[in-house]
Amino acid sequence: MLETSAVQVIARGTDVAFVIDESAPFDVVAAELREHLSKKSGLWSKGDITVNVGQRMLARDELAQVKSIIETHSGLTVTRFWCSPESLGSGDFQIEAKAAPMPEPVHTVAKPEVKQAEEPIAHNQIVLPASSSEEAPLTSASSITAIESIIEGLKARHNKNGVRNRNITEALFIKSTFRSGETLEHAGDVVVLADVNPGAEIRADGDIVVLGSLKGWVHAGASGDTKAVIIALELPSARFQIAKYPGTAPASARRKSNTSASGPKIAYVRSRSIHVAPYAGRFARYNKGVPYDG
Amino acid sequence: MTGKTIVITSGKGGVGKTTATANIGTALAMRGNRVVVVDTDIGLRNLDVIMGLENRIVYDLVNVIEGVCKLNQAMISDKHDYELYLIPAAQTRDKNSIEPEQLREMCVELEKEFDYVLIDCPAGIEQGFKNATSAAQEAIIVTTPEVSAIRDADRIIGLLESSGLHNPKLIINRIAPEMVKRGDMMDQKDVESLLAVEVIGLVPADEQTVVAANRGIPVVHNAKSSAGGAFMRIAARVDGEDIPLMDLEPKNGLLSRFKGMVGMSGRAYSHA
Repeated sequence: MLETSAVQVIARGTDVAFVIDESAPFDVVAAELREHLSKKSGLWSKGDITVNVGQRMLARDELAQVKSIIETHSGLTVTRFWCSPESLGSGDFQIEAKAAPMPEPVHTVAKPEVKQAEEPIAHNQIVLPASSSEEAPLTSASSITAIESIIEGLKARHNKNGVRNRNITEALFIKSTFRSGETLEHAGDVVVLADVNPGAEIRADGDIVVLGSLKGWVHAGASGDTKAVIIALELPSARFQIAKYPGTAPASARRKSNTSASGPKIAYVRSRSIHVAPYAGRFARYNKGVPYDG
Repeated sequence: MTGKTIVITSGKGGVGKTTATANIGTALAMRGNRVVVVDTDIGLRNLDVIMGLENRIVYDLVNVIEGVCKLNQAMISDKHDYELYLIPAAQTRDKNSIEPEQLREMCVELEKEFDYVLIDCPAGIEQGFKNATSAAQEAIIVTTPEVSAIRDADRIIGLLESSGLHNPKLIINRIAPEMVKRGDMMDQKDVESLLAVEVIGLVPADEQTVVAANRGIPVVHNAKSSAGGAFMRIAARVDGEDIPLMDLEPKNGLLSRFKGMVGMSGRAYSHA
């Protein structure tokens, strides 16, 4: 173990880990990392390395800089970046953002003998394409755009599959009537403990639950989650949306919405259109839904 | 003496804000309070007409705020022997002539002299609404049992709550008891459940209201009229009396009773 404040090298069997102080600013970390690698340059054999950035938010040039430091001062090639699901799941993987004020420790795990891409790619993993030349240009635009495009692809994959970490953003509770002209956007689930009146709008990335009468316009799964649902004790609203699918009450349902067919309702996406069924518990199978396709 | 400033508002025009202001103001004065009513509908003044004080206007609200005259110079005394005064709106200016803070300051002055300062709010949710509501500590919302008026009232309640005026009271104006009984008009419960605010009064549709307005004598002076009685009860509730809401029953003629028997209980309106 080396005596340094910011960067420590720990050997674990064949693996070597750089543990970087969480409170250290990026500049210090970069300088010390460079120093370590150049001092012990004979120690590093050729191989691939995975960089885990933890919860630290790195700007894209900082990411490229880390890659460049490791690759210039050792024979290692950075093939993957790991980031914690917390920074990805909510869709705010801020590759553009500056380092967070109190970043988590950055672990750099070198596995010199491990070959690349043996394991399946995890959802929070960024695999860099193998660079054509062995000596990759370090801060080149191509490597930056490569990282960016991978992140974009990753985000798209998230949204398409509706994968999200429901625990990240807490549900928002609204405890008074949500009135005409009031709007709300929330990154998680929304629970309204009152009515949602006509003319009100709610957009939520998660589910929307209304313990009252839902008469306004709501959009569940606004960031593309087709598994999001809308649940309301009464659902007279004829128009709402889940993910990209708009729902419009069929003319017959609209006519009788004032009289019969009352009771809790759930709206969900089934075969690319919105269906509404009487609500009977979260995990029940809803087969008798009425398609809300106008 | 520290009085209360109450704004009377609705969002939608033509639901009876001005009529309600004139009648509640008059009724509160008849109960022995010192009352001033302020018309903030600058450019479209008509509270003075309803109260029959049009001919006495010399100075108006904008004159007071611009310092052209003193506050008491713009206050017009009511024709009757009550402690009731009117500060009329300017007809030649617009809503942007005054700022919310200026009206607030004026109402603070008035509160020292009067028990109740009633502000007649203009329709809409723009500058005039902001002026009128910023000065008030309490709000009374006037609506009619129509979907459009209720939608606007809903919006107004939301705006009032976001500007810190909580628990507004609701007046449902122009209820036609026969239509309610037939199921052709929303009743009190329908409106109340939709708007989720406390109802402070139910005012029946009454020809006498229109007659009184045309004569410039608020309908509360007419003891026989049903609307006048309703406004008297509202004033009593504003004044702190606990009077239960009266069920508005249609006049029990033979024909209406017959209609009630055959009438369908189906609802001919939609809440949405």
